[in-house]
Amino acid sequence: MKHFVIHQSCHSLELERGIFLLGEGSQRHSIHLPSIMCMCSLHNGEGAQKLQEGQWHVTAEGSQPFGFVQEEQIEEDEKTLKAYKEGSLQKQQEMNGHTVVPHSYDYDLIVIGGGSGGLAAAKEAAKYEKKVMVLDFVTPTPLGNSWGLGGTCVNVGCIPKKLMHQAALLGQALQDSRKFGWQFPEEVKHNWMTMTESVQNYVGSLNWGYRVALREKKVTYENAYGEFVGPHTVKATNKRGVEKLYTAERFLIATGERPRYLGIPGDKEYCISSDDLFSLPYCPGKTLVVGASYVALECAGFLAGVGLDVTVMVRSILLRGFDQDMANKIGEYMEEHGINFIREFVPIKVEQIKEGTPGILKVTSKSTKGNEIIEGEYNTVLLAIGRDACTRKIGLDKVGVIINEKTGKIPVNDKEQTNVPYIYAIGDILQDKLELTPVAIQAGRLLVRRLYAGATTKCDYVNVPTTVFTPLEYGACGYTEEAAVEKFGEENIEVYHSHFWPLEWTVPSRDNNKCYAKIICNIQDSERVIGFHVLGPNAGEVTQGFAAAMKCGITKEQLDNTIGIHPVCAEIFTTLTVTKRSGENTLLSGC
Amino acid sequence: MGWEEKQVRGYSEFVRTAQHYHGRPIFALFCGDKDAEGKSWCPDCVTAEPVVRKELHNMPDESVFIYCLVGDRAYWKDPNNEFRKNLKLTAVPTLLKYGTPQKLVEEECFKAELVRMLFTED
Repeated sequence: MKHFVIHQSCHSLELERGIFLLGEGSQRHSIHLPSIMCMCSLHNGEGAQKLQEGQWHVTAEGSQPFGFVQEEQIEEDEKTLKAYKEGSLQKQQEMNGHTVVPHSYDYDLIVIGGGSGGLAAAKEAAKYEKKVMVLDFVTPTPLGNSWGLGGTCVNVGCIPKKLMHQAALLGQALQDSRKFGWQFPEEVKHNWMTMTESVQNYVGSLNWGYRVALREKKVTYENAYGEFVGPHTVKATNKRGVEKLYTAERFLIATGERPRYLGIPGDKEYCISSDDLFSLPYCPGKTLVVGASYVALECAGFLAGVGLDVTVMVRSILLRGFDQDMANKIGEYMEEHGINFIREFVPIKVEQIKEGTPGILKVTSKSTKGNEIIEGEYNTVLLAIGRDACTRKIGLDKVGVIINEKTGKIPVNDKEQTNVPYIYAIGDILQDKLELTPVAIQAGRLLVRRLYAGATTKCDYVNVPTTVFTPLEYGACGYTEEAAVEKFGEENIEVYHSHFWPLEWTVPSRDNNKCYAKIICNIQDSERVIGFHVLGPNAGEVTQGFAAAMKCGITKEQLDNTIGIHPVCAEIFTTLTVTKRSGENTLLSGC
Repeated sequence: MGWEEKQVRGYSEFVRTAQHYHGRPIFALFCGDKDAEGKSWCPDCVTAEPVVRKELHNMPDESVFIYCLVGDRAYWKDPNNEFRKNLKLTAVPTLLKYGTPQKLVEEECFKAELVRMLFTED
């Protein structure tokens, strides 16, 4: 039982159920003290008025001065009152190291969520000598899986994904290598456990690295679930259920997202998500991937790449929100390379036929276009139908932060501020912003610099480059063709495009005319490059440089004046001549 | 049961000892050899050792603390020595939790807080 002693230190007071308003004028803030027994010592010594748990109403007239002191363990009311009257309470508190100043908080900044955005912001704030706390907690997946500090990217996103994508690429490289003279047995096998252990070992070193970094920068880290319980106050609950309260001047919500489930029988009991896949302690075997997001396609891609039988079940289109011309090419390539696609179906039931690691699951699916029902058996069903923001169970209602009720995302202004001035948000939970690690990191760092270092730079969300690591990689920056047409009008944009054949693919006779380059130019603005798209190996490496060029406003002419590097894939962008408008053939012959 | 310490010298002895205690939490501190007066050729190891020793009581019960002398300076500088190749050590002193990616290297070992974190972290 905690006793909070409220004693005199400021002037006006308003009291409602459980809410104490302290301070004067613009210094006011309200403290909400739920299930705590409170004791008020009234200024003029009229006597202690004990508030029972749950009963908050206190009659207070005139200017009853109140202050707020935290966690003062005081046994008896009378003793306290006596101490207060004698003026010794204040001394006692000061001696115990408790600050008696009413407006002081435990921390300058509390970050809820220790992922890409949260950690970047916390480390930056520590640079400016701010007292920072990070609360990070992973609610276990339905199958009981959890992970360490670092968030989605490090543990169950970008990092393990790219490593497993690399495993698949190496498998392909092994096959290509024969034509380059390497000799080894006909059959080359892949060991899932070896790959997963290596990946998890690296992820573990990153978790540890973050722990060390936070400690060295004097950022307080708690592995606890943070939620708002009242103004300027969060409750942190650790895995043993122990609760602690902390206050801060400002808060940063960076809680990220988690995979969505279908809401059909058997989904949570038998299906896995990306949260489980990267540490799966057994080979997934024959896998059904449900979804057409980049997560679905990337996972399907590397699972097939390491030799597994993979089927992708798509409800409607691939890669919603991405350039559909490119999305379709990605899908075609995957299909031509042994990945099965079931289009326009959704699962309605998942049943377990046989237990095991993996077992056998039966999936019943219904057409989106009629009544056709199909069944299939798989060792593993991987759900990748979308991700939901973790904003509904963190007490935002208690502090009045507005969220989009439908999507759970948080709208913020261009300074990442929510509707509550002292509460900010960054990362995947933001409404209408790209869900990318570098975006969260940049937003977090710039926000902190604005708050504590007098900076004014805001995060630039325009022309953020991105890459999808499907078997045929896709890099993009700027407008999709559809968005460009909508914004500028088809007659005002010029699309230059070409297929290309990476030199490294010639000798092993890999697909010619599958790799593809496209730029979208704004005719009315000196043919400025407003959209960049590339399908081919090392798409991410290729795209990064062009993203910088686009930030400088590169035009088609400048691109043409740039001499290419030979022989590399990216040079194609310096020699684009065929426009979509012309309808000409873009298939290339050799150089 | 508390914890116990094993002092070993060289890679083979280290591996044998670690394998012997398989199943228990194992922490290892790798330092450069000590001369006749008990002083290591590695000055950072000289600094780190007392810091680490002071935190040993924070190790979980049943832990084994392996204090391992890696060899002389020449052996250590060889980029192909077994500690570098097999255990992926990059420097001495290194304090690590065996079988996990958790480790502290060089000046990190001077910080009692970090050492304590390594010993008490799940």
